[in-house]
Amino acid sequence: MKRGAGLWLLSLKGLRRDLRASDVRALFVALALAVAASTMIGFFLDRLDRALTRQAGQLLGGDIKLEQSQPFDAELRRELEDAGLVLGDQVDMVSMVSRDQAFQPASLKVVDDAYPLYGEVHVELGKQGAERISQVAHGPAPGEAWIAPRLAQLLDVEIGDTLQVGQATLSVGGLIVREPDQGAGFASFNPRLMMHIDDLDATGLIRPGSRVEFELLAKGPPEAVASVDDLLGRLERNGVEVSDVREDRPTLGSALERAEKYLSLAGLAAVLLAGVAVAMATRRYVDRHLDTAALLRCFGATQRQLTRLFALQLLWLALSASIIGALLGLAGQAGLLALLTRFLPLELPPPGVLPLLLGIFTALAVLVGFAGPTLLRLKRVSALKVLRRELDPLPASAWLVVGVASLVFGALLWLYSGDLWLSLGLLLGGLVALVVLWALGWALLGGVLRLAGRWSAGQGGGSQALRLGARQLARRRQASLGQLLAFAVTFAAMAIITLVRGDLLTTWQAQLPADTPNYFAINIQPGEREGFIDIVDDAADSRTALYPIVRGRVTAINGQPPRQVVPEESRSDNALRRELNLTWSETVPEGNRVVAGQWFDADVGRPVNASEGQPVPISIEDGLAERFGVGLGDTLSFTIGSAEITGEITSLRDLDWDSFRPNFYIVFPPSVLERFGHSYITAFHLDDGNRDMLRELIATYPSVSLLNVEAILGRVRELLSQVTRAVEFVLAFVLLAGVSVLYAALTASHSMRTHESGLLRVFGAGDRLISRVQGVEFALLGFTSGLMGALLAELAAAGVYVGWLDLVPRIHWLMWLVLPLGGALAIGVIGHALSRGVRRQTPMASLGLLGEA
Amino acid sequence: MPNSHAREITPILHAQGLGKQVDSGERRLDILSGLDLQVFPAESVAILGSSGAGKSTLLGLLAGLDTPTTGELSLFGESLPGLDEDGRAQLRAGRVGFVFQNFQLLPTLTALENVLLPLELVPGNDHLARGRDWLTRVGLGERLDHLPKQLSGGEQQRVAVARAFVTEPELVFADEPTGNLDRGTGKKVIDLLFDLNREAGTTLVLVTHDHNLARRCQRCLHLDAGRLSVLDRDEVEA
Repeated sequence: MKRGAGLWLLSLKGLRRDLRASDVRALFVALALAVAASTMIGFFLDRLDRALTRQAGQLLGGDIKLEQSQPFDAELRRELEDAGLVLGDQVDMVSMVSRDQAFQPASLKVVDDAYPLYGEVHVELGKQGAERISQVAHGPAPGEAWIAPRLAQLLDVEIGDTLQVGQATLSVGGLIVREPDQGAGFASFNPRLMMHIDDLDATGLIRPGSRVEFELLAKGPPEAVASVDDLLGRLERNGVEVSDVREDRPTLGSALERAEKYLSLAGLAAVLLAGVAVAMATRRYVDRHLDTAALLRCFGATQRQLTRLFALQLLWLALSASIIGALLGLAGQAGLLALLTRFLPLELPPPGVLPLLLGIFTALAVLVGFAGPTLLRLKRVSALKVLRRELDPLPASAWLVVGVASLVFGALLWLYSGDLWLSLGLLLGGLVALVVLWALGWALLGGVLRLAGRWSAGQGGGSQALRLGARQLARRRQASLGQLLAFAVTFAAMAIITLVRGDLLTTWQAQLPADTPNYFAINIQPGEREGFIDIVDDAADSRTALYPIVRGRVTAINGQPPRQVVPEESRSDNALRRELNLTWSETVPEGNRVVAGQWFDADVGRPVNASEGQPVPISIEDGLAERFGVGLGDTLSFTIGSAEITGEITSLRDLDWDSFRPNFYIVFPPSVLERFGHSYITAFHLDDGNRDMLRELIATYPSVSLLNVEAILGRVRELLSQVTRAVEFVLAFVLLAGVSVLYAALTASHSMRTHESGLLRVFGAGDRLISRVQGVEFALLGFTSGLMGALLAELAAAGVYVGWLDLVPRIHWLMWLVLPLGGALAIGVIGHALSRGVRRQTPMASLGLLGEA
Repeated sequence: MPNSHAREITPILHAQGLGKQVDSGERRLDILSGLDLQVFPAESVAILGSSGAGKSTLLGLLAGLDTPTTGELSLFGESLPGLDEDGRAQLRAGRVGFVFQNFQLLPTLTALENVLLPLELVPGNDHLARGRDWLTRVGLGERLDHLPKQLSGGEQQRVAVARAFVTEPELVFADEPTGNLDRGTGKKVIDLLFDLNREAGTTLVLVTHDHNLARRCQRCLHLDAGRLSVLDRDEVEA
């Protein structure tokens, strides 16, 4: 008797018929929006992430980089090659390079034929014109050297000349414009010389005791990289420095990072809104299908058949909505990327299939979570309902609905954020907020009812409508409360996404004012200070202070070897592996904020004799302090040259690394570091018209390095404006999802309102009165939910700012005005317009006096 | 086979000592008690009673939509109290048709789709043809694609009648089938119902308070104070 195929067919037919009903359309729109939002953002972040990983591989020189002070053995090479990795050798060292009588230290990079594993070298190869820059995927040939233009200038050589590297003579084959594997920062002050590994022996530079870094670079598919994890761990324990794109990815600018988080947040908000819409639409869907279910029961359908029928029907709905949503999402992410790739020098991998599956999964999860408990009601319907209409199965308990929906949404949060504790925190916070809102809503509705009672005195049309509307709303407390909460959550989600957007943009704009430095000058010698500043100040619009730089390595934390003391995840931190730029300053550096402790007293200006073992006060950047696991009162010891100096942390500073100013992890008070060799750094902003000054600077101070960050600055500016557009694009999406909730909710209460207006009309109410009563009811609903939404949004926004986006929370007064009034207006107008059809019906029809209601 | 023209001796519907109590506050209310009834194949039986006499409750019990508190009840030779809700539903599928006072047409389904609904639960590949055929037989062959709200009350009930017969059931229950119709329209629907019943040889159990309607059945029973009594012709005429 039961036929599987029959049910499938029936469910499909049912869906087709159902698409005529507004609740099913609302369900469809809500699910499609949820999928569109999550796939759009998922596709986008996935592609961006893979592109950034690829770029990271390029900056690192490979997917894996191994470094040690002696050559790597053949067995290790074989093991890596067997795993499917392509290898490249590289040797780094600093050596004197000479031509005739000119000597200059250069940073040597010795490469093999595999170089570069990723990307291309931008190099000027010929003599014919200075603009002939080639992009080549190889290094210099044996016998050749490619050098940085600055080295050419310092040694006064041109392409075709020869120069001396150790005992080898190499001919200059090219001028390096850009290396693909060139990390940011000022790690190397010496100009570059690149040569072939075959010439290395001839230089005679590799001797016992010489400071040479041997590097083994490996490239391969992610599976191959993952398969050598154990090996990498073993190497790391044996003292090999291991870098891995998966961990050592350069951090994005905080703007892009925040934008990524914002997008995830917006995606989740859209999913939540869609969930609320689904929950609202499902109630109406179930109410409407109780009759169908009862009839089918009557005609002999089993509970199992009913469950399968409706489950299948909704499955089709979810799948078709997913496909539409995924297509929208695919188009949307293409739009987002089009906005972003113009300035991100990324090779974009094609969209992966994972976000698509994730999107479909999201639709199903939202359906199960937000509609499931309500749908079970259909199964429990009694066949007897066909004879006795009042026999509706009890609606699912509100707590069950909220509970299951929260669980599912929490799981989605976890899935999307990958952070269990954050998800749990948000979930619990959300539930507590819901309980509070529930109680608040209950009290508010009670208040409205009492107020409505007092209004009874007035007999004008307006006050009568106000009284009736308020009473209608307040009397159906349970149903109204559901709507109130749904609207409050909707308004809150829309408001949060709007607020965060505004605050993000303000922060970004404040971050890079017009006179943000576009040049950095480094390696200014103490004797050159005055003259250099004079030239710069004549032409530049703004200049930061001159900061001294002393290079030193952290050798102890609280007297212990650093790697033993810092948290495990910080053991390979760059700040421990490299020398740090240390500075001193009497005052807090520009753009820095002391967040704990005290800045140096004026009297620390006295000479400090560090060798006495008395720690000197130091100030540390709070991010580094966190990574090192240190705070006020802890000590750090530094090796500077051959001396050792210990500092006690007396203040923590917060600073903005994207500020285009010289920034320092560690600041000493004056009179401590002066005795060590130091140079100065500054940054300034130069207008296009004043560029001539640069030539004068280079000619007068040839050893000073000038770094033009105009291009980077321009890219960051453009990034911000493009990210802004992306953020606005996504905001529009969330607002759309919000509207879908309104639609679904108003659809859900349709039948109830039909009945009420029918009754009012039977009792003699005119069109005008009914219209006003409904308007009042919707407006009150909008006002109250706007008020509750503002509260929820304020709390949630504060949490998101502090916990996730790293912004300072503030109270948004305007929102407290806009949400209630806007809510009253929006719901009043939309609800009133949507229920026009209801008012047009005759009482006979609206009360169901003519047969089928 | 659902259709049997030969009169069998075993009743299609058999109730003995049937009772239904409901809890109403602190009191237990006897809606039906000690009720006996036998309905034989191809027979038409009317159950008369005033409003509130428990007619709908009885119909619900007989059709297996509800469970009795006491007594024995069998449908198609199967004991209903021994079956769970799903078992009773399966027993009904394709073998029982219904006509309701308020038609119970689904508003989003066309006339044809409404008629096809019970067919969806039984095997067969000629559903569409059967649905069209039955709608034509009730005179609505031209209105297949109309929604219920586009049809008059009488037309809606004719759709419901077509739906009741489309599975070619052995037994049709009708609950006040003219309750929502004016006299003239009601008469037409009733004519149709009896004609179809006769043609198909279906068993008909009709619940009504309308004596004119009851009179057209072969047997009339009266439900009063929870008990059934047989009415003879004269009493019905009265």
